[in-house]
Amino acid sequence: MNPHTAPAETVVRLEGITKRFGETLALDDASISVRRGEVVVLLGLSGSGKSTLLRHVDGLERPTDGRVTVLGREVTELTGRALRRLRSEVGFIFQQFELVPSLTVLENVLTGSLATVRGPRLGLWSYGRAAKAEALARLERVGLLDRAYQRADTLSGGQQQRVAIARALMQRPQVLLADEPVASLDPESSDQVMALIREIAADEGLTVICSLHQVDLALSWADRIVGLRHGRVVLDTETEGLSKAQVMEIYGRVATSTDQMAAIELELAGDAVR
Amino acid sequence: MTAVTERPRTTGAAPAPVTAPPRRRVSPERVAAGLTLVALLVASLVALRSVDIDPARMLQSWANAERFFGRVGAIEFPPLGELLQLTALTLGLVICGTLLAAVLSVPVAVLAASNTTPGPGWRAAARFVTVLARAVPDVVLAMVFVLLFSLGTLPGILAIGLHSVGMISKLFADAIEQIDEGPRTAIRAAGGSRLQQFTAGVLPQVLPSWVATVLHRNDINLRGSVILGYVGVVGLGMEMSFAFKSLDYGLGLGYALVIFVLCVVMEIVSSSVRAAMLGIAPTGRGLGDRVVRRATRRRGAGHPAPSRPAITTVESALRRPWDRARRRDVSWGWLAVAVVVASIAVCDIAWSDLVTVWAKVPAVATQFWPPSFGSYEASTMVAAMGETIAIALAATVLTLVASIVVGSLAARNVAPSRGVRSGMRLLLVGIRGVPEVILAIVLIVVTGLGTQAGTLALALGGVGLLGKLLADSFEEVSPGPERALSATGASRVQVYAGATLPQGTRALIGHTFYMLDTNLRAATLLGIVGAGGVGYYLLNASQGSNYGTVTAIVLMILVTVLAVEGLAIWMRRVFR
Repeated sequence: MNPHTAPAETVVRLEGITKRFGETLALDDASISVRRGEVVVLLGLSGSGKSTLLRHVDGLERPTDGRVTVLGREVTELTGRALRRLRSEVGFIFQQFELVPSLTVLENVLTGSLATVRGPRLGLWSYGRAAKAEALARLERVGLLDRAYQRADTLSGGQQQRVAIARALMQRPQVLLADEPVASLDPESSDQVMALIREIAADEGLTVICSLHQVDLALSWADRIVGLRHGRVVLDTETEGLSKAQVMEIYGRVATSTDQMAAIELELAGDAVR
Repeated sequence: MTAVTERPRTTGAAPAPVTAPPRRRVSPERVAAGLTLVALLVASLVALRSVDIDPARMLQSWANAERFFGRVGAIEFPPLGELLQLTALTLGLVICGTLLAAVLSVPVAVLAASNTTPGPGWRAAARFVTVLARAVPDVVLAMVFVLLFSLGTLPGILAIGLHSVGMISKLFADAIEQIDEGPRTAIRAAGGSRLQQFTAGVLPQVLPSWVATVLHRNDINLRGSVILGYVGVVGLGMEMSFAFKSLDYGLGLGYALVIFVLCVVMEIVSSSVRAAMLGIAPTGRGLGDRVVRRATRRRGAGHPAPSRPAITTVESALRRPWDRARRRDVSWGWLAVAVVVASIAVCDIAWSDLVTVWAKVPAVATQFWPPSFGSYEASTMVAAMGETIAIALAATVLTLVASIVVGSLAARNVAPSRGVRSGMRLLLVGIRGVPEVILAIVLIVVTGLGTQAGTLALALGGVGLLGKLLADSFEEVSPGPERALSATGASRVQVYAGATLPQGTRALIGHTFYMLDTNLRAATLLGIVGAGGVGYYLLNASQGSNYGTVTAIVLMILVTVLAVEGLAIWMRRVFR
């Protein structure tokens, strides 16, 4: 929200990430870096590599080639507990919420704290009282305290996403990744959830990388917009001073699938990055 | 039902040119699989002739049956106290065995499921365990354990427990492979370890299906406990075999009737448990569901929805309110604990035997090894095995024909009226309720000893299973094409032939192979009661203490069962 603060340290840096799934090239030499407290919105068609890029930040995918550095640690080098600890410092919000449907809301939130405990957990009784109190406080934060003991699948989509946000907060993250967090919601819940994410990100001073497809939302929230196409970063620009028309034009280019645009795009993207 | 009728599917990533749609190529493998299917069909028809099912002779032997039932006189029952005690013992033994299998199955399933296995080597090993456990009949295991432990419940529990691992771990693994990976990924993304991902992300998703699997297997094991009685496993089955062996037919049939009722009651109970504990709606699949649905409907009307206690502060929320869900969970939990404890108590397991038995193992092992046909000619044994295979094939083809008719009429989307559907479902449940062994025993009386009785028993019993599976598969087909055909004015039969049946074909092939698989295993065992095939020699060898022969027969059965299993796997892969 605040692009004019002094340049902060870089907390997420992707350098020349290439990712192949068999024959498919999901990411093609993609590089971005994000400073602490910055809000970056990823734009692009589905299949452009947004999700794959986000999953690399959390170490859910290993790059075929390239380096991922998050919070000063080389993600590609991490394994075991160290990797789990890093993941716990990075919250992830999914398009499909990804709650365990048959567990209570509270237990779903508690799964956000698994990295801090040893051994398996099943059932509310297996978590400590302090963890429970914290989880309930997170639920209060997202306005769903009264639903704590309901099954997660009895909630509406918007409520489920709020539970997922509470779960991410339970990790006490420094970085928040969100993969199309409102794409599966109706417009009203979408507004509520988006407002909640923005509010929480601002309050907690989170570094945010979020993929979206609402351009005006991206414009009003993001400090920077990154456009992806066919796994390539084709645009990386500060939103400061951009008009909606300009962004629409950019988005149009990002979202166009005709090949003729590629050359122009590269050129303009080069300008935009400055 | 041939190989080539499959929906077209574009393969490869390259976009196909619009002008010339690529002609679907039939791979050599598909051709081979199709030919195999045809060959199997022909073999089944030949087998059908060879087991000489002869309606004329059956009518003739009807006189036998009349004489028999005349001799039986009234069906007798043992004294009530003894009966209750035997029933409790049988139930306890079966439940303990099934539970043992469930516990053993968890690690096997985790290693065998593609999404939880630590590596391909582990996966192969786990699958080998699964296949092997399924392939060794529980009767054979029981023979071995009876020899090791002599008396008590342990032989039965161990035989059921080890054999059931095959099916339970397979279904457990299937359930794991079908989970939504999303929640698990979310837990991984939050930093959860593999074990934590499993307990928090996988287990809650598979638990309902796992419990249903265990309940289902418990029903099967209860039925199977009858035949275990013939080789010396205590309980109702053993008493029944004693009664029949001493030609006390009235008492024998009394036990058979008790077992039949017990099986039906268990099915109702497991259906209620599934409905109540897991929230799986009783959708009217079986007698159990039917009863449960009626009962809950009557009860449901009186209850006003309880208001949720208001939670306003974190402090007040720390205590979970005793709402309906929690009361239900806790009471089911304690009930389950009570059942398990009672089962273990009633079995009166001689735990010390588990320690001392190891001393006997070498001696028993040398009795079973090396395998030999003993006094039998090798050709006799191979012929007997051939007879068993013929029984299985013939029974399968008979079952298939009958099941397509009954199963279709029992499917909601095919049946012409609710009445027909309910009637057919009831028929299927009724057939399933009768343990095949009892069916075989009754049929032996009607048709005389031999392959004919075995074939008919399997064919009839099979309709209960295959008919149900087919009905369920037909109900699960996508309704879109059916609606589309109806909309064009197609008749019921046309909709069935044009939309329902083609969509169900894959399931049909899969289920039929499953049936063949099941029948082959069952055919080996039915011989024990005199229904033809290799089972007769198996029992003889065991009773004559020719354990080398037992091993030889088991090895023959193993090879055959594994061959069919391999064939089934190949078919499923080709017709995917």
